[in-house]
Amino acid sequence: MTGPESKKASSPGVMNWFRSAYRFSTDRNDFRRNLLVNLGLFVAGVWVARNLSDFDLMSPQPVA
Amino acid sequence: MGGVLAASSPNPPPPVTSGAAPAPGLTVPPGFGMPPVSPVIPSTGADPGQQQEARTHLPNPGAFDECHRKCKEVFPIQMEGVRLTVNKGLSNHFQVNHTLMLSTMDDSSYRFGTTYVGSKQMGPAEFFPVMVGDMDNSGSLNAQIIHQISSRIRSKFAFQTQQQKFVNWQGDAEFRGEDFTATVTFGNPDVLVGSGIIVSHYLQSITPSLALGGELVYHRRPGEEGAVMSLVGKYTGSNYIATLTMGSAGAHASYYHKANDQLQVGVEYEASARMQDTSVSFGYLLDVPKANLQFKGSIDSNWVVGANLEKKLLPLPLSLVLCSFLNHRKNKFQCGFSVTIG
Repeated sequence: MTGPESKKASSPGVMNWFRSAYRFSTDRNDFRRNLLVNLGLFVAGVWVARNLSDFDLMSPQPVA
Repeated sequence: MGGVLAASSPNPPPPVTSGAAPAPGLTVPPGFGMPPVSPVIPSTGADPGQQQEARTHLPNPGAFDECHRKCKEVFPIQMEGVRLTVNKGLSNHFQVNHTLMLSTMDDSSYRFGTTYVGSKQMGPAEFFPVMVGDMDNSGSLNAQIIHQISSRIRSKFAFQTQQQKFVNWQGDAEFRGEDFTATVTFGNPDVLVGSGIIVSHYLQSITPSLALGGELVYHRRPGEEGAVMSLVGKYTGSNYIATLTMGSAGAHASYYHKANDQLQVGVEYEASARMQDTSVSFGYLLDVPKANLQFKGSIDSNWVVGANLEKKLLPLPLSLVLCSFLNHRKNKFQCGFSVTIG
């Protein structure tokens, strides 16, 4: 049966990929990593500012 | 990345509280910045040819140093200790202020400051010359003179001393054209030693929304000289401003968004090639004028969380500011309290 064996063979590869991605994203000594992660955070911040900041503080509260 | 003070790495000038309302007839510049220039208002009711010209008229893009200002104003200012400021307007032209700062980290100090505003009016609530100065108990002086030489040329001179020694002296001239702004600054020029810094800025409106420009910093010391150049682009939308500054030293991007009359949001990204470090900050400003309350909050990628609460205690001429900053990574906490009278 090649199905489960191929799945077992690919899952260590996927796990290795996750491990290397985790090590990359948490390695604060890597300038390139810092640059990319913070650039992604900046883009996420701009998206939040444009799409999630349209609530009106002075609107009347709903009556229960 | 920018001005003369950053290039020559002096001691930074002390922060000036901005909670006081100016006396009637007086224009107090925000901190040590330039007073704002009123925008050019296009003529209305003209014939079609002039209307076409008015439609294609490009606005002045503003000063180079103000490109990131809108976003920076959203973030809280870090303050430590207790500060008491008393402002007193002696006339329509002259104002004095006394500031007492009590601190656990630095030395406590007292500062005496004065502001003089002349009678040459260049726009609504804009009077020149403006002279601002303050001195602390150790004899260190900060002084600025801003004067509008003509309708398009503005000059500024600034001095800073540490006790009896001059550490900073600079002069600059700004020319505001129809659709561009050009500035030249001379920093710490010393003809005898042959040292100094020259900073030139140029910002040009390309479209009514887009402005592009550049900065050139040339510094010289005996046996050493160098130049740094950076480029800036600013895009102004209906309720947002996106600015990007890039140079050999690094990059600085900022995004300012005005969600509504109460809420403004700012996102900043800074990367320094020299320090091999990057950071991103997210800040917001909540303005509730009915409650005379303003709240600023921020969080950044170095796990520093900060907040500022400013409350005007009307009808008293009193303003209260509470500030706290918490650095989660270094486990450091800092809080400040400020009262401004007048």
